[in-house]
Amino acid sequence: MWRLNVVRHKAGRPDISLEEFKFKKRAHEKQLRQARRDRQLVSKRLLVNDDEDEEGGTMDTLASDQVLEYLQMITNGRESLDTESQLRALRKALRDPSAQLTFIKQQCSIPALVTNLSGPNTQCRLEAARCFHELSHSPHREVDPWRLRQATPYLITYLSGQSPKFTELCLYTLANMCPDSDSVREMLLAQGIIPALTSCIQIHRYNLAVVEAVAFTFSQLVSANSAAEKIIPAVLASGLIPYLLSGLTPDPQFGLGPAIECAWCLHYLCCSNVDSGTLVAHGALLQCTSMLVTLGGAVAKGSEMEGLELLIWPLLRCVGNLLLSGPLGTLQSHVNDSRFLAALCAFAQVFLQTHPALTRESVWVLNNLTADSSVFCSALLYLNLVPALMQLLHFSHGINTMVLRVLGNIAHHGREYCLHLAQAGLLSALCATMKMADSEVVTFSLEVLDQLVSSDPQLADEFIKQNGLPLLEAMQYNSQETIRIRATHLLEHHLTPHCTVDTSEVA
Amino acid sequence: MLQPELIQLLTVSDVVDTSIDAIPTLTVGFSPKGSAFSSFTSHSTEEGEKIPYTFTSHQILLSKDHEFFEDGDIHRHLYLQNLSTCTADDLPTARACEFKCHISGCSQVFSCLDGYEHHYNTLHRHVCSSCQKSLPSTRLLDIHIQEWHDSLFSILSERQDMYQCLLEGCELKFRSREQRKDHMINIHKYPSDFRFDKAKRTKKNKTAKTNLLQKGISMEVSISEPAVSPYRPEEEDSMELQRTLDPAEEHLHAVEMSTENASAPNLPVPIPHTTDQPISQHNRGTQSHRVPRTVCFGQGRVRGFRGRGRRI
Repeated sequence: MWRLNVVRHKAGRPDISLEEFKFKKRAHEKQLRQARRDRQLVSKRLLVNDDEDEEGGTMDTLASDQVLEYLQMITNGRESLDTESQLRALRKALRDPSAQLTFIKQQCSIPALVTNLSGPNTQCRLEAARCFHELSHSPHREVDPWRLRQATPYLITYLSGQSPKFTELCLYTLANMCPDSDSVREMLLAQGIIPALTSCIQIHRYNLAVVEAVAFTFSQLVSANSAAEKIIPAVLASGLIPYLLSGLTPDPQFGLGPAIECAWCLHYLCCSNVDSGTLVAHGALLQCTSMLVTLGGAVAKGSEMEGLELLIWPLLRCVGNLLLSGPLGTLQSHVNDSRFLAALCAFAQVFLQTHPALTRESVWVLNNLTADSSVFCSALLYLNLVPALMQLLHFSHGINTMVLRVLGNIAHHGREYCLHLAQAGLLSALCATMKMADSEVVTFSLEVLDQLVSSDPQLADEFIKQNGLPLLEAMQYNSQETIRIRATHLLEHHLTPHCTVDTSEVA
Repeated sequence: MLQPELIQLLTVSDVVDTSIDAIPTLTVGFSPKGSAFSSFTSHSTEEGEKIPYTFTSHQILLSKDHEFFEDGDIHRHLYLQNLSTCTADDLPTARACEFKCHISGCSQVFSCLDGYEHHYNTLHRHVCSSCQKSLPSTRLLDIHIQEWHDSLFSILSERQDMYQCLLEGCELKFRSREQRKDHMINIHKYPSDFRFDKAKRTKKNKTAKTNLLQKGISMEVSISEPAVSPYRPEEEDSMELQRTLDPAEEHLHAVEMSTENASAPNLPVPIPHTTDQPISQHNRGTQSHRVPRTVCFGQGRVRGFRGRGRRI
């Protein structure tokens, strides 16, 4: 299994060095990025049985031959005991991808497995299901889910069963089949996968391994490109949400896995914007924010728990998007804990060096909170969180523009807000950001500066004292017109009366 | 790294009221005192044209496929595919911003603020508006302007000692540049290869990265041309060398150094210097972004003309 509390370190494997692993990982990451750009980013999960070790791999040709041999025996055999061991052997052989290819090309192969999957012998069922699981994870295009479709009615039926390990197996097999094609998904929907999944999580709600598997299967369904039309509305109507929300609280013994899957599933639902109102009504916003406050506490304490960011990430996105589900005033009761703001700032700082994109997303949520809310802007100032935010202005990767948005949101609210921002040191921070290479940052800095100096003449004076005028004058000759216009405007409208030389007074 | 009060807020779980309602809300709005009321959406200039603000205060909705979410998605999928074991050098790090000089024609980029500040203060503070030469101090700028751009000076210097000693506090004046140079060497112990008066314009160098702190020797440094590549200080070896400002040759200089300019012929480096014609008019045609004459930078500057227009 891949539970985070059982670290499967690939570097420990004898056949691969750490350098090689890192190299493979980087190459793989590049592929994943391209796949995402093509909107074809999917992942499958492979259950590895607890009772097995990774055996030394047999040669390709040997596995393929064995597969044919076992298939022969299975289709011809009569005694279940033999069948069971033959299926087990087949399953082991099917770990080899080329054997999978050989197997699928045999016409009788799938029907033989289905017979055993649906037969009276439970061990044969288990082994047959394991064979299907290996096939569902195949890297070969030819071993596509459509070919495995005869198994799905049984797999779905077994979801309502009481055997947790078997259910888990069926779940991951179905989950692996979901992302590949629209036709497979339509078939699964027609076969009632959604009610079956909901009933499964109901039955097994205290079994965290099953909860993780159900949530993962759901997330495979709802993350599909065309999910918004039919799948997501069906999921929202299915009664799943309360189980997802209760699954968000991680169990210290079991690890973060189930919470992570529930969170990602929720994230796809929230981002689809299909019916955010329902999600909020179920308490999604409340639950996510309080979960983030708890995680903020963990992070502030310096928790080194592996994988925390995997849980924080989707929760942030849920909150970020759910904040648009209605006017902030009405949502305030769901985001009532002021520590939430502190948690966002904590995430932004702590993850800056390891996951800068997470920093950026934390500040994005702050933007959505402050954009039209004097309450949250006041709170940010009151809790003295602005200096911490301003430290982030030195970082690119979209971080400083997002921080400037938040500061602009606060300044927008009025003179008192501007004065507080200046007290926190914003004017000198802007003097630095206006010197940056990114013209978007410079433009936006000028706009925030405009807001500040126009709100109160004290701030204009303060800016001049900080030697800001020469910088603006230099900007009047910048190659970009947007910058020139703003610099000129500032000088002429808000800073001129305070300039060093006023010839009308001399004489 | 985290402020103690932040840590405390998040970790102490006692009676403190964490409800957001408990926090006082500041008054919203701009009072009419001081400057005029301004809204964040746009700003009118006196001519009535509006400056559309690039950023307005608004919430941002992001779909699951938005590029903003790319890094997080990749991290998730690496985890799903069991490749999420990270070592320290694998992790992406936040990129610090670069700083860029704003002066038109100077496209220098710096990795830290100090570098930018030093560049700006060294190169752009005392600039001659006539010939764009950058001087290290106000005094030297004044002397430069007087000696090179003041026609009255050249008349007066035929009859009296006009060439001031360059050192602040030494009141002596001399009849010629050479005499002053000798004085600087003999009395003030300046090295003989010290760069005293230089020609008004120097070769436009465009290729290598600058070393501004040229051992503290050079007093006069030229500004770079508008170009993609960073600036390089002048390379003159001899004090006596007078560079020309023949427009055609200037253009060739520009062409030679710029590798991006495909339309120009490829010339060998370095271009030999020709005559010692006195520098006539600074040719403005070859520069696309230039600091206009009316601009003068630095503290204590006066708005208006320096150099050419002032003596009247």
